[in-house]
Amino acid sequence: MDIVGSLNLDKYSPKLDGCTKSETNLTVNIHFRQTVTLSNAVMPRRDARRLSPPAILGVLAAILLVSMLASLTLGYRIYGLDQVWMALFVPDNSESATIIAGLRLPRALIAPLTGAALGLAGTIVQTLARNRIASPDTLGLNGGAALAVVLASIAFDVQSLSGLSAAAALGALVTSLVVFGVAASAGGLSPLKIVLVGVTFASLSHAIVEVFLTSNEAQLQQLLFWLSGAFVDRPMSQVLAGLPFVALGAVLALGLARPLDALQADDSTAQSLGVPLSLVRGIAFLAVALLTGAAVSMAGPVAFVGLVVPHAARHLVGLRHAWQLPAAALCGAVYATLADIAARFVIYPVEAPVGAITAIVGAFVLLLLLRRRAA
Amino acid sequence: MTMPTLALAPRRMPGRWTILAIVAALFVLLGLAGIGFGSTWIPLDRVATILLGGGERTDRLIVLSLRLPRVAAAMLAGGAIALAGYQLQRITRNELASPGVLGVVDGAALGVVLFMAIFSDESNALVVPVAWQPLAAALGALGAIALVFILSGRQASSAIRLLLFGIAIAAAAKALTTIFMLVGPIYQASQAARWLAGAVNEVNWGEIQIMAICLVPALLLAALLARHLPPADLDDVSAQGIGLNVPVYRILVFANAALLTAIAVSFVGGVGFIGLIAPHLARLLVGRARLAGMLVTALVGAMMLMGADLLIRVAFSPIEVPAGTLTAILGAPYFLFLLMRKDKANG
Repeated sequence: MDIVGSLNLDKYSPKLDGCTKSETNLTVNIHFRQTVTLSNAVMPRRDARRLSPPAILGVLAAILLVSMLASLTLGYRIYGLDQVWMALFVPDNSESATIIAGLRLPRALIAPLTGAALGLAGTIVQTLARNRIASPDTLGLNGGAALAVVLASIAFDVQSLSGLSAAAALGALVTSLVVFGVAASAGGLSPLKIVLVGVTFASLSHAIVEVFLTSNEAQLQQLLFWLSGAFVDRPMSQVLAGLPFVALGAVLALGLARPLDALQADDSTAQSLGVPLSLVRGIAFLAVALLTGAAVSMAGPVAFVGLVVPHAARHLVGLRHAWQLPAAALCGAVYATLADIAARFVIYPVEAPVGAITAIVGAFVLLLLLRRRAA
Repeated sequence: MTMPTLALAPRRMPGRWTILAIVAALFVLLGLAGIGFGSTWIPLDRVATILLGGGERTDRLIVLSLRLPRVAAAMLAGGAIALAGYQLQRITRNELASPGVLGVVDGAALGVVLFMAIFSDESNALVVPVAWQPLAAALGALGAIALVFILSGRQASSAIRLLLFGIAIAAAAKALTTIFMLVGPIYQASQAARWLAGAVNEVNWGEIQIMAICLVPALLLAALLARHLPPADLDDVSAQGIGLNVPVYRILVFANAALLTAIAVSFVGGVGFIGLIAPHLARLLVGRARLAGMLVTALVGAMMLMGADLLIRVAFSPIEVPAGTLTAILGAPYFLFLLMRKDKANG
């Protein structure tokens, strides 16, 4: 096929100069269509064969259930499904029951919850900034939330988990306002520059966190572990502390689905459709802060989940937020759970921090997006 | 350009060398102060006698085995990374470029951590001489910068895009570093601060010797290549037209910058933002002259890291905060300032 095609091209190329106008149009069209398919991360595909969005959500939910089950069974020791069933519903004092219910269950819940929160936050942020490489990490929100948690626990002696979650949400909110404020005050920075500003903020908060950690050795161990971004050894209470924040954020996000659709184009279009811009933006920032804050307080900064997941969701269900947001939540949940399972095996028998796994995948995706000039 | 007057001023040769002399004098003073300050204050005249071979025994012990090593390490590493930043900014004609943001620092750190993980036995001792460590760092640094430029391709001409490619490579290298720190022996993780932030407090004389020996060829190469660095305001085509910016020299300059970064990172770790700021300060001080610019850049870089280390010893004593965190905290706002300036329309 390829050889024939190239031969044909060779045969026709000398005539290309003298071709008629319709022929040039044809080549231009072909070229145009190629670029469109190249950037299909942005454009929804409309195939006859594709599943409808509800069906896709159903499939994603099924995949999520399977991967959560896998997260319960796979690890340093591999348990059978029957052992998992026994541990969860007929608990005894056996070793397998203790490990499954006490160690595996919290992380099997915390991983999808964190992933869903970051996926939702990433989707909203990418729409708000009209920037396909925006995410809670690249805009510095993760870093701000982490800094707020460290500040709250060291300087203000906040101990309760929900207090720390609230601090993380506040940190993310402040950082998002600062980054977007800086971008707006500079008279509309390019999407790339906004990301550079965000990354710089992230490295700044990272450095400050490091100063706090090294100067408070008592809390260093505990906080350093949390800061690496991992789902290991989290108590069940942490899941329960984060859950209301994620739920509230998700409800706010889904409520904004229609205005976000309008906001996707540009401000004047959204306004002419009757969308109250500043109100929608305010609520959206709040939702992003709640979701990012909950994710960071549960698992620490898990890198680049919010960057990768929205692209997958858009690819699957298209641009309508009513479908895109639930798809992003499910994709994020599946992604984080699978990354958590992978983290147990990449350097077996030692466990890698899940944040490192997602960072490698995320950096690869970022390179891909940059090469395709998606932003 | 913030200082068009300086940059455009004709024939300022004498002024330039006077400034260089002043910077050098400040550098010596800061070095002596860096040795003098600490848990006990040793007056500068006593520091000078000790360095010249005299002095009391306790003083000699404190100075020669505790304070001088970290001052010397800060000096060498700061100077090397600043010079690398100078070369990168000139060759890419991008004032936002630096070894940190182009992924070179994290690539070098990954090289070191890999080296330690591969060449250690069960008792956590290296099975090959530690002198090979800079080579591992250099390979990592070269790999990172090559990846950044291969992947960015023609997009490298946009300052901002090039930086984003660098940031992506840096993120991947950092994640791999975290993983390999866990694979390697435990004692490396206790040194994690070095690889995460950059610290000069645990460097010993043997390591400083290796750094100094490796620096000699790197500096010679830098001096030889100085003539081939294009002026910042020349575009690619004109630079090639007058015989500058030939691909071979470009590659050599990149390799040289990677080597300098690797020497700094291999024993001190990633000292953020010095490679960005020092060349800017040097340009403010001496304009665009090459030789004076390079010398002042190296001196300013060395002073920045020595100063950061000194400040940390005074402010946080007895806790050892990594010096790299301080340079990052000071450097990040400056980077933001550079980004926000409106006259630079690099989108």
